[in-house]
Amino acid sequence: MSIFSTLSQKPWMADQALVDNEHMGKSMTLSLRKATLFLLLIVIAILFTLFSVAYIGRMAYGDWRTLPEPLLLWWNTAIMVFSSFSFYRANVNADHNNIKKTRIYLLVSGALTISFIVGQLFVWRELISFGYFVSTNPSYGFFYLLTALHILHLLGGLIAWLVVMLKSFTLKNDPVNFALKVNLCAIYWHFLLIVWAFLFVMLLLT
Amino acid sequence: MSESIVPESELEEVELYHAKSWWTEKVFTQDAKLIAVQYGLTAFAIGFVALVLSWFMRIQIAFPELSIISEGTYYQFITMHGMIMVVYLLTALFLGAFGNYLIPLMVGARDMVFPYLNMVSYWTYLVAVLVLFVSFFTPGGPTGAGWTLYPPQAILGGTPGQESGIILMLVSLCIFIVGFTMGGLNYVITILQARTRGMTLMRMPLTVWGIFTATVLALFAFPALFVSAVMMLFDKLLMTSFFMPALVEFGENLTYGGGSPILFQHLFWFFGHPEVYIVALPAFGIVSDLISVHARKNIFGFRMMVWAIVGIGALSFIVWAHHMYVSGMNPYFGFFFATTTLIIAVPTALKVYNWVLTLWKGNIHLTIPMLFCLAFIVTFLNGGLTGLFLGNVVVDVPLSDTYFVVAHFHMVMGIAPVLVILGAIYHWFPLITGRMLHDGMGRFHFWVTFIGSYLIYFPMHYLGFIGVPRRYYEMGQTEALYTSSAADLNVFITLAALAVGFAQLVFVFNVFWSAKKGIVAEKNPWKAASLEWQTPDQPPVHGNFGKELPVIYRWAYDYSVPGAEDDFIPQDVPNEKVKLAKGHSQLGVEST
Repeated sequence: MSIFSTLSQKPWMADQALVDNEHMGKSMTLSLRKATLFLLLIVIAILFTLFSVAYIGRMAYGDWRTLPEPLLLWWNTAIMVFSSFSFYRANVNADHNNIKKTRIYLLVSGALTISFIVGQLFVWRELISFGYFVSTNPSYGFFYLLTALHILHLLGGLIAWLVVMLKSFTLKNDPVNFALKVNLCAIYWHFLLIVWAFLFVMLLLT
Repeated sequence: MSESIVPESELEEVELYHAKSWWTEKVFTQDAKLIAVQYGLTAFAIGFVALVLSWFMRIQIAFPELSIISEGTYYQFITMHGMIMVVYLLTALFLGAFGNYLIPLMVGARDMVFPYLNMVSYWTYLVAVLVLFVSFFTPGGPTGAGWTLYPPQAILGGTPGQESGIILMLVSLCIFIVGFTMGGLNYVITILQARTRGMTLMRMPLTVWGIFTATVLALFAFPALFVSAVMMLFDKLLMTSFFMPALVEFGENLTYGGGSPILFQHLFWFFGHPEVYIVALPAFGIVSDLISVHARKNIFGFRMMVWAIVGIGALSFIVWAHHMYVSGMNPYFGFFFATTTLIIAVPTALKVYNWVLTLWKGNIHLTIPMLFCLAFIVTFLNGGLTGLFLGNVVVDVPLSDTYFVVAHFHMVMGIAPVLVILGAIYHWFPLITGRMLHDGMGRFHFWVTFIGSYLIYFPMHYLGFIGVPRRYYEMGQTEALYTSSAADLNVFITLAALAVGFAQLVFVFNVFWSAKKGIVAEKNPWKAASLEWQTPDQPPVHGNFGKELPVIYRWAYDYSVPGAEDDFIPQDVPNEKVKLAKGHSQLGVEST
């Protein structure tokens, strides 16, 4: 769909009417759910971008202190990568209609995601034990805020994951729909991995 | 016009939800039309609260000796009035109410693509409204920080409602944004992916284009408000210093330090300015359609109108700092934003010209919707022109804190969109309820609202020019700053405001009375060509279009087509089924 060619149409002309009468009513070939997910991801990306802009804007002030980098964050990042990879495998297996393997990979993905969240909470505990509270410095405040927001998005994803897991047990004659749901979850997880990678690099660099 | 080709099969449909009980049919409904009514009633209910607040403020300004409200209450009322009107009334009405009702009907869908999500969107909105409303009854009352909620004062002691009001306001906004996002995803995807056969994007009525673009703006702009609200909540509850600089309060050093209040302003206005167009673009779209229907003429420059809507939407993201000329920002910033602000006037003016040119030689019916449209054009023009004044830094700086600004934004963002909403309700009421609104009460409502609004806001420009400051609870006795003529004018304005307020009560009565006892509307009473009037039932029932979805053969503006017997051709009528006028052998030709 080219927006420019769309906007140059003259819907009142007879020759254009011939073309328009053939139109199927869809602007994209994507399925409804996938199109909605992509739009949602754009909105979430804007949300994190604006937080990052605020982060960078606030850094310019003199009281900014560099963040400590707990080693655990690297482990958590690795867990998030594996979780996303496991979702990729689940997706491939769902496409091949291999429900048993899909379910195993889904389970692994969920377990790894929960481990990631717990890992992030341990990072918080470590920071607090050093006396780095949310109000100690804006850099710490942002760290808690951004990681919490990322965790919230993962928790939202886990609700979808739970629905797909349950579906894998009650699955009857709808493998295509199931594969689509696994695919949507996988896309969401890959996206949250990218968001985390972006946040992590930003936190490391500053 | 050449022969139409009927597509072979019906479009793949979204599975339609069917309610199983009274509760799921009438209360927790998933039908977009009923959700629209729920949105509308809730928005009007909370909007009425905001209207009553404005009466108290006006009485206080006109008759300060009565001390009808205290200074703290005055600021609380200002804040709540502004936020409710902008976010909880206008945004919810245009997108939640009109969006839900009109999108599926106008694009030829049976419902929104995700009805359940749509339902959750409304109930989340209701929770947001209730959280906000509850703040009236909490210790300290609602926040009095001003509708822009600028830190640091928004969360400091001394500002009314800093105990809990500000927290409830920020939480309510976050809930509203979450709820809106659910609805917004639905509106955009329904428009892009669930149109009926033959309904190309450029065959959609401008109402849908306006709502579509505004929804995209809202999806992209509301996150900025979410970010600022969350960060301010952190500052308030967890004592972070995102926005809070080092402060001394009542002789005590606060723990805050180093934060940037300007950062908040940038984030807030990055949302705030697109918000103006989130309200304006649906209004532009609706007014275009109403003018076309009631002047029996196709909209002039349809493509230009679509380009202008899209162009205004894009430009609205690069003008935000014109709200911040007096914040002490870099003057070069001001130059940039003044330029972009003036540029956005180009597509906006283009729309005004096109409305006027649509009226030119049209068969103008002075129905109540048309009266509201005409009133909108002049009001929007007025408000827009004063916007050009304020868009220039050197003019804005002396006028920024005066009543001139109050007059400007009420004309352009208050009265103008409300006139469209009212016109739209008179226009679509027969579709929604199957009955006509009472004409006499309607005309009374129109004239009092229209003339009354001018009596309120025109004098405010004068007050601004002579330097009367806005936001003041009372003006004091200084003749140099507040002349006796200004005081008299304020009394006059208040009386006009109360009269306009009374007219709204007549309107509310008319709506409820006519819904029960109004004249039963004939089918498609305005003889409109767009699809929402072509449903088998009026009002449309669940599923909208009976057994089969309609197929679209033309744009929504085939009015007074030469050669046709009727002066309109509905969108779902193919050329071969159009009745030809006597003496004509084909459509589109003046005479044979």
